[in-house]
Amino acid sequence: MSDYVVEMLNITKIFPGIKANDDITLQLKKGEVHALLGENGAGKSTLMSVLFGLYQPEQGTIKINGKPVKINNPNDANALNIGMVHQHFMLVEVFSVLDNIILGVEPNTAGVLKRKEAREKIVDLSKRYGLSVEPDAIIEDISVGMQQRVEILKMLYKNNEILIFDEPTAVLTPQEIKELMQIMRDLTAEGKSILFITHKLNEIIEVADRCTVLRKGKYVGTVDVADTTREELSRMMVGRDIHFTIDKKDVTPGKVVFTAENVTVPSKHHKNNAVKGISFDVRAGEIVCLAGIEGNGQSELVYALTGIEKVSSGKMTLEGMDITKASIRKRSKLGISHIPEDRHKYGLVLEYSLANNLVLQRYWEPEFQNAGFIRTAKVLDYANLLIKQYDVRSGQGAATIVRSMSGGNQQKAIIAREIDKNPELLVAIQPTRGLDVGAIEYIHSQLIAQRDSGKAVLLVSLELDEVMNVSDRILVMYEGEIVGEFDPQTTTVEEIGLYMAGAKRNTPRTITAVSATLKK
Amino acid sequence: MIILADIMSATVIFAIPLLVVALGGMFSERSGTINIALEGIMIVGALFSCLYLVSADKSGFGAVHPLLAMFIAILVAGLAGIIFSLFLALASVSLKADQTIGGTALNMFAPAFAIVLTWAIQGQGQTTINIPTWVRITQDTFGFTASTNPNFLETFIFKNLYLTTPVVLVLLALSIFIIYKTKFGLRLRACGEHPQAADSVGINVYVLRYIGVAISGLLGGIGGLAFTIAAGSGFQSTVAGYGFFALAVMIFGNWKPLRIFGAALFFALFKVIGSYSGSIPFIPSFSGIKSADYIYQMLPYVVTMLVLVFTSRKSRAPKAEGIPYDKSTR
Amino acid sequence: MMTKFKKFVQSPGLSSFLASVASIGIGLIFGYLLLAFLNPSMSFYGLGKILFAGASSAEKFSKVLYQAAPLIMTGLAVGFAFKTGLFNIGASGQYTMGAFFALYAGIILKMPWWTALLAAMLGGMIWGAFPGVCKALFNVNEVITSIMFNWIGLFVVNLSMSNIPQMLDRISANRTVNLAAANKSAIIPKWGLDKLFGSPYMNISILITASVAVIIFIVLNKTTFGYELKACGYNRNASIYAGINAKRNIVLSMVISGGLAGIGGGIYYLSGTAQFLVIKSLLNMGFNGIPVALLATSNPVGIIFSSLFISYIQVGGEAMQPQFSPEIINIIISVIIYLSAFSMLLKGLINRILTHQNARREKERVLHSSAGNSGEGIVTDAAISNKSESEGVTK
Repeated sequence: MSDYVVEMLNITKIFPGIKANDDITLQLKKGEVHALLGENGAGKSTLMSVLFGLYQPEQGTIKINGKPVKINNPNDANALNIGMVHQHFMLVEVFSVLDNIILGVEPNTAGVLKRKEAREKIVDLSKRYGLSVEPDAIIEDISVGMQQRVEILKMLYKNNEILIFDEPTAVLTPQEIKELMQIMRDLTAEGKSILFITHKLNEIIEVADRCTVLRKGKYVGTVDVADTTREELSRMMVGRDIHFTIDKKDVTPGKVVFTAENVTVPSKHHKNNAVKGISFDVRAGEIVCLAGIEGNGQSELVYALTGIEKVSSGKMTLEGMDITKASIRKRSKLGISHIPEDRHKYGLVLEYSLANNLVLQRYWEPEFQNAGFIRTAKVLDYANLLIKQYDVRSGQGAATIVRSMSGGNQQKAIIAREIDKNPELLVAIQPTRGLDVGAIEYIHSQLIAQRDSGKAVLLVSLELDEVMNVSDRILVMYEGEIVGEFDPQTTTVEEIGLYMAGAKRNTPRTITAVSATLKK
Repeated sequence: MIILADIMSATVIFAIPLLVVALGGMFSERSGTINIALEGIMIVGALFSCLYLVSADKSGFGAVHPLLAMFIAILVAGLAGIIFSLFLALASVSLKADQTIGGTALNMFAPAFAIVLTWAIQGQGQTTINIPTWVRITQDTFGFTASTNPNFLETFIFKNLYLTTPVVLVLLALSIFIIYKTKFGLRLRACGEHPQAADSVGINVYVLRYIGVAISGLLGGIGGLAFTIAAGSGFQSTVAGYGFFALAVMIFGNWKPLRIFGAALFFALFKVIGSYSGSIPFIPSFSGIKSADYIYQMLPYVVTMLVLVFTSRKSRAPKAEGIPYDKSTR
Repeated sequence: MMTKFKKFVQSPGLSSFLASVASIGIGLIFGYLLLAFLNPSMSFYGLGKILFAGASSAEKFSKVLYQAAPLIMTGLAVGFAFKTGLFNIGASGQYTMGAFFALYAGIILKMPWWTALLAAMLGGMIWGAFPGVCKALFNVNEVITSIMFNWIGLFVVNLSMSNIPQMLDRISANRTVNLAAANKSAIIPKWGLDKLFGSPYMNISILITASVAVIIFIVLNKTTFGYELKACGYNRNASIYAGINAKRNIVLSMVISGGLAGIGGGIYYLSGTAQFLVIKSLLNMGFNGIPVALLATSNPVGIIFSSLFISYIQVGGEAMQPQFSPEIINIIISVIIYLSAFSMLLKGLINRILTHQNARREKERVLHSSAGNSGEGIVTDAAISNKSESEGVTK
């Protein structure tokens, strides 16, 4: 028992209406990398938040090095040498790297900061663990990879021995992921113990010693990674066999629905352009996927496509019509539908009812209004129809205030609304972000149904599995340009990863040639 | 030339309340709470400190120890401001209510309460509290007599010298130091930019936000006293919109203490120009228009608007201000 | 039958209403305590005046109605802006502009009352446009802009009046000329209501303003225009996504809000019994619109009632003189507003009392059930928001 540095025994954590952790036991050995695997909502983050003192469990005990402890807040956790790198970085963007690292443990004399002392320690740690950072750089100016290194340094600066990583690879390129894996190995070699939350099987196989699997709040089992397989892990995770590929009909793409010619979009954050003279097209009956690490211009391109941002040069056409300067409403009327990347920010008015949200893109049509007065009965009928067709679940049906609906159902509502418009071009940005496997399968099937019925779909995704399984053509974006075009059947995740990281790129001539081959 | 000294002296005396209240607003907003109640806080601070001054006058203590009495008055103003501001903190931080509701309630409460209390103490209908004359620092305090024909420097320094002025300037220096060089300042700023990050390293965001609001109460209360002194006709249960003016100064100063100082001087100058319009040769006197001084009274407000219009694009407010912090929304 | 009653009892409308009533009750109690502190022997007298003076005579009651009318308008102005996501603290300036335009139209241009009212609306609309444009195009906070324009408006109007001598009274040059003398047709008609209520103050203003409130209610809830404005107020980004022109709506919203406040100014000063004073302080009627709107949670129909309530206690406050200062009423009102910050807490409390809900019992149930989750597999947003309601408020 004493070679367990952390023991979480029979932990139960309840939120109103839901048992997030149900009698879970987790044991971490000293010097091991222990993965915590489960789908979205399995309870992994909650369990780690309990360990870190952000939540208190209703039942269960925690032992550190064999001694039972109570962890009431992050200070207690820190006192026990537990540190956590969160999925959404806990960094103050306008502070420097140094200030972020010392926040909460500032070296001081009677309250006056002693930055010099901290700087020396940081430089030292940085060298020892190979985590290169610039102490005076401002967080909002540095790369995501460096930001993560700052988070790691935060833990090392506080002499944390037990390190928790929550989905650390979500925002990294394949190369940065490899570096992170090496850093983890180095840390455990120095005697640190690591718990790392993930839903990515490849990473577990690559770096973990053991893995604990959770499903729907319950403990499923713990395995030695060396003795298991991807299939076994995934079966434990979902409770059934996963099809890693999706059934897609063989459809030959038809006419060109959308073209972008030399589109350039300026950036809001820096002087360079976010999108630099991109050209591509999307045809009827195909799903084109814009792949790439977040922040390489995909968002800006989509904003330009939907009309939220203006292009500084270039042309866009929809079914032959020039829409470069058209308003958002006009583009919507001409046949573009959009599933936005942030459903709370762009997709829904949370204080409105489900019915009002379902007509958000159509309320001005003669069907729903008469001389400026809303035809409430018609709106309600339409809402009920969509609710039934797309299985959108809510507390009070069409009258439910959307804020109280679950994320999955909110997303379904948006999809119902956008697909029911029967658009010529459906643009979906990260449509499955934050959803569980059931919802993901459903959304993929909807996208494919659109494609099968001869519509054009433009998908922007960061999930390589999704990219490979769902799309017909993949366009990789890097630093505002299209650097490669691929057929998912003939390429690999690793290859795409190289392009995503900018390690490789095709010349425009090559892309056109590849394009031509793919379109035959 | 003496006119210039006059104007400069008047500018300083009007800038001081703007400066100190804007600094208060800065502390509050930097910790994450928009303080719309500065107007009410100023009134409360002025009310209690003026009541104290009157009682110090009555007891004779003030005439004998004017500087000490004034210092105590400043403390009273600050303390009253702190207590009053805690009501805002309660509503905004603990109850997570819309920050404009609490602020508006306090702004309504303060002048009404001031009038009622003044009525009760001074008698019905007596709503002005007169400030005793010994609060002004004269040459006598320093041991020499005022000259009958004071030169530039003497005018500039002594025309409008009150203890509040150096006290506020000291507070300015302290503010700069505290915000940028102390552990407290770092944590305070973190709460206003990214409270989840502060929480995750064990900082109590609620306590710090309370402190931020309390500091704005302290500085706002002192500002109320400073305003009443600058206005010169005693306390009349109003601060003529200065609480909101100070917010404009804070925004123009981009939430940074030194820039706020500059902004305060800038706006005070415009206010003063209006009063001196007759004496300044190169300013139009609008001879054909009746009550032309209304034009000059409008000037500071119009200038404020123009400045805000041109600078608001680039302004960089604390990122998490105005959003009540809720631990469960991590 | 039971389920219908249960549904009614659980509805958010009822707990909102009860929370408002509770705020009012506590505010009045606070006021009484203040009276008792100031002058214990007269405290009951004072309380009595507050509670009953407004209904003590037909004349007093008609004063309640006559003063409520402009209050309804400024309340609508603030409430309308709130509904669309903006805080119009500039109602005072817009009200003043409205009054000026109305008086100018009536006195100088010799127009009839309804034209003068339209002029008032125009004045308010213009003045409301400034904060709207500054916010939409330049991203300047509308609170500060409105405050600045309150003062600018005051000075502009004072300046203008001082330079248009025909508008001013011959004898006391700091007030406007008596409307009856200048242009009788500008006075808002009484339609016999003055005889009915036995008071020269009574006119149709209450009817006009109540009708406007109903119109605003319809616009906000039944039209596509209202749908767009509210969407903008709730979520600017999502409304842009829906093709709504957010900037245009911000400006429109402030313009309408200003217009409503402007009408208020016209209503009050065209009554023939009030004269506009050229003074150095901001008119209170605009600011009193804020508690009116907050008490009614910006519901236009509710605003009619909250205006009547506030006007009622104001009449009581005036009747308390000379024993007590009428400012006490403002203290009571500000306490009521402050309590509305507690409204979420009050609502939750009332809800729990009404429906016997108990968070702990709910937890026990979940703890001991074998099937823990609802089958969704995710910690729902609903769960999180419920959690914050029960845990967050006690922090």
